[in-house]
Amino acid sequence: MTWLDSTVHRAMIEAALVGVLGGVVGVFVIARRLPFFTMALTHGTFPGIVVAALLGVDLYLGGGVFGLLVVLAVVVFSRARGQDFTAATGIALSGGFALGVVLVSAQDGFSKDLTAYTVGDVLAVSTSDLVITAVVAVVVLVVMAALGKELLLVAFDRNGAAAAGLPTAVLDFALLAIIEVTVVATVPALGAILTVALLVGPAATARLITDRLVLLFPIAAAVGVVCALAGVWVSTQWNIAAGASIALFCGATFGAAFVASVVRGRLRPAAEAPVAVAVQEEARV
Amino acid sequence: MTQQQDRTAALVLEQASVAYGHVPVLEELHGTVRSGEAVALIGPNGAGKSTLIKAVLGLVPTVRGRIEVLGVTPAQARRDVAYVPQADTLDPDFPVSVEQVVMMGRYRKIGWLRRPSAADRAHAAEALERVGLSDRAKNRFGTLSGGQRQRVLLARAIAAQPRLLLLDEPFNGVDAVSQHALLEAIALLKQQGAAVVVSTHDLAIAHLACDEVCLLNRHQFGFGPTDAVLTPERLRATYGGHALELRGDRVIVTQT
Repeated sequence: MTWLDSTVHRAMIEAALVGVLGGVVGVFVIARRLPFFTMALTHGTFPGIVVAALLGVDLYLGGGVFGLLVVLAVVVFSRARGQDFTAATGIALSGGFALGVVLVSAQDGFSKDLTAYTVGDVLAVSTSDLVITAVVAVVVLVVMAALGKELLLVAFDRNGAAAAGLPTAVLDFALLAIIEVTVVATVPALGAILTVALLVGPAATARLITDRLVLLFPIAAAVGVVCALAGVWVSTQWNIAAGASIALFCGATFGAAFVASVVRGRLRPAAEAPVAVAVQEEARV
Repeated sequence: MTQQQDRTAALVLEQASVAYGHVPVLEELHGTVRSGEAVALIGPNGAGKSTLIKAVLGLVPTVRGRIEVLGVTPAQARRDVAYVPQADTLDPDFPVSVEQVVMMGRYRKIGWLRRPSAADRAHAAEALERVGLSDRAKNRFGTLSGGQRQRVLLARAIAAQPRLLLLDEPFNGVDAVSQHALLEAIALLKQQGAAVVVSTHDLAIAHLACDEVCLLNRHQFGFGPTDAVLTPERLRATYGGHALELRGDRVIVTQT
């Protein structure tokens, strides 16, 4: 009997890992205004899960591979003249999910697998799931540290990055792939629908607390870990869904930070963040 | 003029035509900008000023003729070329500090997988000093005024130690203090031997800051010394019906 044989212990480790991962990657999701893309990815991986189930291979491997294809399609499509990133994302979201539904409707006996996929079950993670999540976390953090300054420049000033000779399409793909891998690693714990909570909530909360990029990453990671562990704890204490508890903690933390920032008068005036700029930024990804 | 002929050509346009896909944007551009000189790109919105800047950066293809930058192709020259975008095209909410933005100018020289050295930090600090914003280094970029943000972006370009500097409408909506700071920093870069290309709507600034003018509206309506090119006739030709004559020798552009 090792420490990891306990369901609750495994769930806590998994929660802490996805908390760190979601928080850190979330900083770029927020800075590049990609929550919608992240939401779309969770649906875009769906056909991959179904196909993997049909073929009898690992569901998350299937989701991961298919998700990368979706990312590639979005990058290629959004570079076409007259198209924009949000349109490509919308098509990937609906098209991916629809393809999954079609595949499911053509088959029987999927319902059990799919419930876990849509809402997740962190208390069901196996030791091998843990290892996969840990490896993903290490790889993602190393890649983000290695490409940090280039990812920052592309995120902040796309034209400037291209003018400096950076391969913007490759860097776009790298960031979207990082988000995709994070989504796939988080889905066993939170499920396809709730994963976005951990990739948006902690980073958005950190953004309310600080303006400084170097502090955003540790604060977002800390908020992610605390929300994830609190969610697991509440879930085991009162026997409620763990993924939903984690998502609720993410929402509640953001709400509290928001109220605190209003009280402290730190909320920036709306005039400083015109909607047109926001839309333009998202379109430019 | 003899002094200018001694200087090396930083940018050469030879009957150059630039196109997005099959749509020609600029046709038959011809002219030379030498090191230590500044040229103003002047023309109405949609004239192709930004497109010419992108072509000089090698981001838009030259379909006919030739664009030569520092003796090589635009793509090969990027290491020695710095680009200053319009400040208001950047997200003011982005969580990045002024000194981080200036350091971005060093990224190309730092290279992949490396972190800024003490020398890089010194270059960035000096560049920020040159635009008079050292005291704002720790502030978030978006908290600065439009003019100050434009100066930070110029500092970023200065930090890159360019031999050719490209500025896209740097004076739009910029207050007098910042305009003065921008002009001074540009003048110093010229003195140090950099060539400068600046697109602007402001004819007065073209007179103040630039030795030469390129009048653009899809085609070239003139390229040469500022006083010789900025004539009422040529401005009317460039701006079409949107140029009005004032007191015989002055022209006002009614629609940019």
